Amino acid sequence: MKKPAIILLGNPNVGKTSLFNRLTKLNQKVGNYPGITVEKREGTLIANQKSYHIVDLPGTYTLFPNSLDEEIVFNILSDKSNELYPDLTIVVAEPASIKRSIILYQQARELGLPAIFVINMMDEMDSKGIEIDEDQLSSLLKTKIIKTNARTGKGIKELIAVLDEKPAGYFNSLEIPSNYKEPLEEAKKLFPLATEYLTWQYLAQENVGILPIEKQQALLDIRNKFKLNTHQMQKDESLIRHESVSFALSNIIQKKSNKQSNKTNSIDKILLHPILGYILFFGLLFLIFQAIFSWSGPLMDSIDGLFAEITAFLDASLPDGPLTSLLIYGIVAGIGGIVIFIPQIVILFLFLSFMEETGYMSRVVFLMDRWLKPFGLNGKSVIPLMSGAACAIPAVMAARNIENPKERLLTMLVTPFMTCSARLPIYIVIIALIIPEDTILGFNMQGIALFVMYILGIVGALLSSLILNKVIKSVRSSFLIFELPTYKSPDWKNVITNVWDKSSGFLIEAGKIILMISIILWVLGNFGPNNKFYDAQEIVEQQSPNLTEEDLAQEVASYQLEHSFLGYIGMGIEPFVRPLGYDWKMGIGLISSFAAREVFVGTMAVVYSIGDDVDLDDDGQKNTLLSKMKSEINANTGKPAYNFASGISLLLFYAFAMQCMATIAVVRKETGSWKWTAIQTLFMTGLAYVAALIAYQLLK
Amino acid sequence: MQYNSSLDQLKIGEIVKINEIQSTEIPAKFFELGFYPGSIVEVKHKAPFNGPICLNILESNTLIAIRKSEAKLIQAEYIK
Repeated sequence: MKKPAIILLGNPNVGKTSLFNRLTKLNQKVGNYPGITVEKREGTLIANQKSYHIVDLPGTYTLFPNSLDEEIVFNILSDKSNELYPDLTIVVAEPASIKRSIILYQQARELGLPAIFVINMMDEMDSKGIEIDEDQLSSLLKTKIIKTNARTGKGIKELIAVLDEKPAGYFNSLEIPSNYKEPLEEAKKLFPLATEYLTWQYLAQENVGILPIEKQQALLDIRNKFKLNTHQMQKDESLIRHESVSFALSNIIQKKSNKQSNKTNSIDKILLHPILGYILFFGLLFLIFQAIFSWSGPLMDSIDGLFAEITAFLDASLPDGPLTSLLIYGIVAGIGGIVIFIPQIVILFLFLSFMEETGYMSRVVFLMDRWLKPFGLNGKSVIPLMSGAACAIPAVMAARNIENPKERLLTMLVTPFMTCSARLPIYIVIIALIIPEDTILGFNMQGIALFVMYILGIVGALLSSLILNKVIKSVRSSFLIFELPTYKSPDWKNVITNVWDKSSGFLIEAGKIILMISIILWVLGNFGPNNKFYDAQEIVEQQSPNLTEEDLAQEVASYQLEHSFLGYIGMGIEPFVRPLGYDWKMGIGLISSFAAREVFVGTMAVVYSIGDDVDLDDDGQKNTLLSKMKSEINANTGKPAYNFASGISLLLFYAFAMQCMATIAVVRKETGSWKWTAIQTLFMTGLAYVAALIAYQLLK
Repeated sequence: MQYNSSLDQLKIGEIVKINEIQSTEIPAKFFELGFYPGSIVEVKHKAPFNGPICLNILESNTLIAIRKSEAKLIQAEYIK
């Protein structure tokens, strides 16, 4: 038997996600809707002797879609053949904005959906001075009303008890204006099985993507024949509903003084202050980057130490041979290179999710819109851009709540410039190599350098947007409207789930690629195309017969690497990377990074372990990648491979180049266009090459 | 004393009733979030250099921000 499907529907900021977490506990997963990468949260609840499939829909104010997110909601709720089509819809509301939620509830019911009505955030009833006559509301909505507080878990049991509820039909809350009656009658003939309101929805939307082409055309013909304006129809519906619901609620809801909005207002006076607001925002950003760099230090040191111990242990306990070598220098080194950066990724996601939960994020949108508009972006671009500081993949997806198609495209095109956590490992390693660990005015200089790299990402994003803004033509006029929710202390359950989802997702996705590439690299480094690789010992002995045993082994190893597949590939691309100040070993790192940037560090670990694996037992310190890279000599110049000039050049290259297959794939999906994906990849990588070239040639 | 004004001209703290919205370009989302004829709003915050303005929709007691360019198209009358 199919599991009963339960869907959570509601406005943004009503605590829907907290409720979802309460219902499903940790029994949930985050995936994508088929075909498009809109985040889908679904989970299982076992109760009432059965198991329910629970889906948390993206927050929406109305069933008329304004953005991709909202289109998903309409597509699921309007299509009985959709696999997520609910057996029961839970409309989630909060006390203050209950009217908006009732309008959404009416829309859902008139599509033909059975629904119950949940008033969440009951704790706010008192502080917001609201009284609701539940019995009257229940008879108005013709369904069960459940009061919950998802944060404390109050009311959840009562909610679970009514999940099998089958409320009677609820229709005719919308009096269709007489001037629309005739077109509506015509449209009804096209959809004999649909409810009247569903037909109205079809008619009042500019384009209903899920309908067959001929139905879309027929709807368009009706709209043209009667000169219907979809915007106007939606506004008319909104007005009628507002009026009738207000009238109906006048006896049901009593409002008194409101303590909480006073509190929010006084906080906003500071956080939205024309000067102080910006100082605090940039101060917070600076704090985040200092935190990423300095708080994570001890954790990273212990992870580093742990992997050094694992390596030493495996080396001592396993027999020598190619498989042991693959395990230690391919797999363990590669995984270690990524696990070490988890603390930083967690810190970044913690801050982002904290800002989202408290309601501060939309204040940032408010503060930044004015400054992003000239670049062709929108205040809402702040969220993709800031999430881009974690990972471009969810960030590009976050752009879907931008209503204007052009602003959305621009945001997606420039978001990958933002310094994502995959760049962090590379920046940290290179900054540690070329910037001294001193402090200026109490600030860690390496932290400042990292901050500069983040600024560079932002500048790259904005300037590119400015250029692209001139090129792309706009179809629709731009507008912006968003809610600033009241401040709340964060629901730590949400923060923790969010941080866990994002960082484990990153670790698994990146881990898969790194594991694969580490193995490929190991194979390429341990086999060669000709006998020079296999006869290395004899050739070296012949050339320099007087070497000590130790020197001989080292010479053989480096001769072997030079003549392995990996060595030949690295040398093959050397002419292209030499002007940027890199040698062939760094070239290998660069190539492997085109799969994903974070691979660089893992690759370097593999490349350099092969380079001097004889030394590994000698000195425990040499185990760490950093000291290995520090002592590395550039084969072309004879200078340290990671000096100031080549370091800056590498930093610039990684700052701008599009080196992430997953991002390319997501951009392709979200833009639906190979053209824009290709333009983006070429633009970014070209810019990276030129910037790195200029920097190295000036600094060397 | 002027009794009518578009929303972008208002000062912080002024309370007005929306009369009409002068553009078919403005999407229905504005209506849904509380900018419809008859709705009473109070200006709460303004971002500097002609940035967005934030209004309190009195009926639902929610804070909604819009750009000045759209605020200019919304006509309102002062209420005492």
